Amino acid sequence: MQCGWSLLGPLQWIRYINKQVKVTAGKDEEHRGWLLTVDPVSASLVLVNFHDDAVGGGRASVQVVMGHAVQEVQVLQDADQETTQRLQSSFLPPRARPLAPEQLGQRRAGVRRWLEENRVPVQEDGEELLVAGALTIMAPYGPEDCCSSNQIILDRVQRLIQSQPAAPPNHSAELPNHSAELPNHSAALPANQPIQRLIQSQTAPPADQSERSSCD
Amino acid sequence: MATPVSVLRLPKGPDPNSRGFDPKSPRFIALCRTSIPTSAGSEADVEQLPKEQHARSVLRESFLRCLLSVTNKKVQFHMYERVKVEATFGASDIDVMNFQVSDLHTPIGVQKEALIRCQDVISFSFDA
Repeated sequence: MQCGWSLLGPLQWIRYINKQVKVTAGKDEEHRGWLLTVDPVSASLVLVNFHDDAVGGGRASVQVVMGHAVQEVQVLQDADQETTQRLQSSFLPPRARPLAPEQLGQRRAGVRRWLEENRVPVQEDGEELLVAGALTIMAPYGPEDCCSSNQIILDRVQRLIQSQPAAPPNHSAELPNHSAELPNHSAALPANQPIQRLIQSQTAPPADQSERSSCD
Repeated sequence: MATPVSVLRLPKGPDPNSRGFDPKSPRFIALCRTSIPTSAGSEADVEQLPKEQHARSVLRESFLRCLLSVTNKKVQFHMYERVKVEATFGASDIDVMNFQVSDLHTPIGVQKEALIRCQDVISFSFDA
């Protein structure tokens, strides 16, 4: 039932890479796409098709055809330089895009503010954030960027960063307007539950910043 | 069709250690393939071997990265007998014999966790 595809071997398979191929599989399924890779263990083909939307960059749909079901593989065309580049970088770890320094600084400030609002001692040390003297957060300040030898602190801080509400774009510009709402917010919510308050209302941060000055 | 179904235990394939199963029979090969197929070129050129190893590792690394990126994504499995099911990809084993998936949407309901045999799958697709 198997055609010779599974028996070709890595040296033959690698010659099909970065080419547009047409694969017939199973009874009458046909797949087309750019061949990203072939799994040497199962002879499965990974085909990528790019759909370039105007919004938010290109999406790609990926089909994996199992090696044992392949009937025939036909090469349609070779890839040009740009497509090859795109293919090879499509499954690299997602953090390959570096952020601009100002964005990085803003993110750092945002994460620092969030930690301080949650009563976690944090200091800025150049590009890094030092938390409670036991944990370091490096750029780009996501949960995976926390380094610590203390398991408990690491877990707590990671969860905290993960639950950080997404900041609205002109956060600093809105501060003066929101100051008028301060009395309403602090009256409505109990003062002894700081974390609940932060999670419940995204416009509340100014209320907590005024309290922060008292404990600094 | 979101009714959860209780766990179904389907019959296992032949046990490779018991008597009576011919290791060359198609059923045995399909269900009990335990070893990764090695290169057939042991009698071929010795100098081809490093090149083949390199090619093999490049291909495998690429494939593993691809599998890493599928985790927790919704995939559509196309299986034999025109079966198309959707599930959330969990993991694959090293020999690509089984896929672990969650929330498998079947015609009788939703299986919370399931193991799909790769021999039954023709292809699967997802959006990157």
